[in-house]
Amino acid sequence: MNVLAILMIGGVLAVPGVALVALRWASHRGELNLPERAALLPFDEEEPVGRATDQILNRQSAES
Amino acid sequence: MSASSQTFSALLPGDVSDDSSKRALLAEIDASCRVPVLFFVISGLLWLLAGTALALVASIKLHSPGFLASWEFLTFGRVRPAHLNTVIYGFASQTGIGVTLWLMCRLCRVPFVAPGLATVAAIFWNIGLTVGVVGILIGDSTSIEWLELPRYCTPILFFSYALVAVWAIITFRLRREQHLYVSQWYLLAAILWFPWLYATAQIMLLIEPVRGVVQAAVNWWFAHNVLGLWFTPIGLASIYYFIPKVIGRPIHSYYLSVLGFWSLALFYNWNGLHHLIGGPMPAWMITVSIVASVMMLIPVTTVAINHHMTMWGHFGKLKHSPTLRFVVVGALCYTATSLQGIANSLRSYSEVVHFTHHTIAHAHLGLYGFFAMVMFGSLYYIIPRITQREWPSLGLISLHFWACFLGLALYVVPLSLGGILQGLAMNDASVPFLKVVEGTLPWLKLRTFAGLLLGLGHVAFVGNLVWLLARVFGPYRKPVVAILMGAETAAVVGK
Amino acid sequence: MKYGPLLFLGILFTLASSWVGLVLAPKQQLGGLVPNVSTNALGAVVLYPQARKGEAQQGEEHYRSLGCVYCHSQQVRPEGFGSDITRGWGKRRTVSRDYLYDKPVMLGTSRTGPDLTNIGERQSDSGWHFAHLYNPQITSKGSVMPPYPFLFQLRKIGPGGASTNALKLSGEFAVAEGWEVVPKDSARQLVEYLRSLKTSVDLPEAPLPKVQEGAAK
Repeated sequence: MNVLAILMIGGVLAVPGVALVALRWASHRGELNLPERAALLPFDEEEPVGRATDQILNRQSAES
Repeated sequence: MSASSQTFSALLPGDVSDDSSKRALLAEIDASCRVPVLFFVISGLLWLLAGTALALVASIKLHSPGFLASWEFLTFGRVRPAHLNTVIYGFASQTGIGVTLWLMCRLCRVPFVAPGLATVAAIFWNIGLTVGVVGILIGDSTSIEWLELPRYCTPILFFSYALVAVWAIITFRLRREQHLYVSQWYLLAAILWFPWLYATAQIMLLIEPVRGVVQAAVNWWFAHNVLGLWFTPIGLASIYYFIPKVIGRPIHSYYLSVLGFWSLALFYNWNGLHHLIGGPMPAWMITVSIVASVMMLIPVTTVAINHHMTMWGHFGKLKHSPTLRFVVVGALCYTATSLQGIANSLRSYSEVVHFTHHTIAHAHLGLYGFFAMVMFGSLYYIIPRITQREWPSLGLISLHFWACFLGLALYVVPLSLGGILQGLAMNDASVPFLKVVEGTLPWLKLRTFAGLLLGLGHVAFVGNLVWLLARVFGPYRKPVVAILMGAETAAVVGK
Repeated sequence: MKYGPLLFLGILFTLASSWVGLVLAPKQQLGGLVPNVSTNALGAVVLYPQARKGEAQQGEEHYRSLGCVYCHSQQVRPEGFGSDITRGWGKRRTVSRDYLYDKPVMLGTSRTGPDLTNIGERQSDSGWHFAHLYNPQITSKGSVMPPYPFLFQLRKIGPGGASTNALKLSGEFAVAEGWEVVPKDSARQLVEYLRSLKTSVDLPEAPLPKVQEGAAK
């Protein structure tokens, strides 16, 4: 058994272990409560939901 | 909880809370991105032109081997890696970084932090790449696919990349919008994954090469992950931002996007060794990659359903928005190329198509159809906003779109088919090898024609951009107007 | 729902998993591979594979530099998987050990041209290789392989008469009277490398087919 093998076995055990701890911690802090409203993040008062942008092609009444 | 509902109220149209007043205005953010983003994007597009020229030379050589044959530096085995590296590290990576910088600023709600840092990174990136591509042409290619750039230039690229990553982490830390949108997960992941991949591959293949076929394992772990963990997340981040932004409607399901992200993160990085099916590797390595490739059905269908449902009822807007056109075609190609890739990774299918031009068609459907198209779409949105100038010619935009769309279809569909026929013929030992070669010629000639169409599209795009830039730096001072964002926003812009 | 630290850890751990699985594990399993030891008919110890030396080693550099790998694979797939063996590209599948000393390992992903794993065995005649490299149409009409005239020197025939290594060109490929085409060092080295490509050695993990008499055990 060389160092690499020990590292790998250690890694195989450690990775899911740490992942479980992290998930538990995150769920306690409420980080996993994803609200659907996060989907609104690209929008704001300047460019709210419902307003299309970049409508520049094929516009009959295009004027500057 | 209370903090999040407070921020949420700030997101509602018309509501100006304390939180939102701290956030920079879109126009302010866009203007701050101008120099570094343009630097990356313009260099990326110049590399695109160079890469297209190299691609055409390579493509012609494959059906007319006598073409430019007397110059050693233009022999097929050098032009092809030179093409790959210019489009991967020159065009796709730099344009991708440009788009990433802008998206990060916008979603973090901060004006560009340390533009000098990013610009220095871009300068070094281009120096490193120029040295490397010249190196390939004069014979210093490593012949390790996706990692052909010679050893003496890759540290420069890595250093320059590290600057970009540092920039991204600073921006991320300084963000004024605490909540993260799905695009930011993908961008952050790409930015952290790439240096790990690149460092591993450089150390284990170029600096202190491992022995024997371990090289092949590292090579394909790296090469496939450049696609899966660098380009794919940047492309998906753009799609997740631009489709909702252009049509003015939030993404269909935020939960699906979470599922899509984490399943991609879990499975994609195990895919690489399906490139070695039938090769001299222990079977478990290949099998594990095949399993992971099939698992990619989860992120791919999730993302496809999510994007399609978001677009549902808004397909009419494709007529008006160049960004939407390119991005939606890119999203469709992502689904198509992923499904094709899953098929390619199955042993029975791979037995036929593995060593054929089918693979080349597949790679272009992914990198061009998906990634490049999404980048083009993103640039149509970003450039007018950071320069405060309209696109001078709508005709050139249409030309760009249709030339690339047709070129792409003519490239991918026939060559995929031709590749299957080539593979079937090759697996039939009674067909002499030269007959197999002869059978590929019509497809290869069609490919050159398709390449010309793509080149035409690129020239139209770059021409339009040069025209636009001439208005930025020239006497023409007409600012951005209503047509840019849709007539109804004229009042906002004109204030 | 700030998600930042969780995201960061997730990004780290997902890639770490395949880094362990597809980078470290192969290195662990295959990194310690050693050449196969056998004795030949005379009782001498034979090692396979052996590191390339001299011209063949220099030729490998040309093979890399000229990008031959983009059209030629160097791997034989197992019997019944594709037609590699029936086409005569090898007597047995190739295995990890065959590539122990290749720098770099050039397995290839494309067969625009035929597989070259055993080209040294299939075509050992240097003259054929020189003609083929100078212009593939001489030996393989209809090939899409590019000619490599820059690996050869076109020179006036000296007073001592034509060189012994001059290419025998006739018909449409002939050069002007009084001139000759001779391979440069690079062409010679490349051909030596190609002639060194052979894997028909019996290995415990990949035995040669039984009909093959005289295989050393």
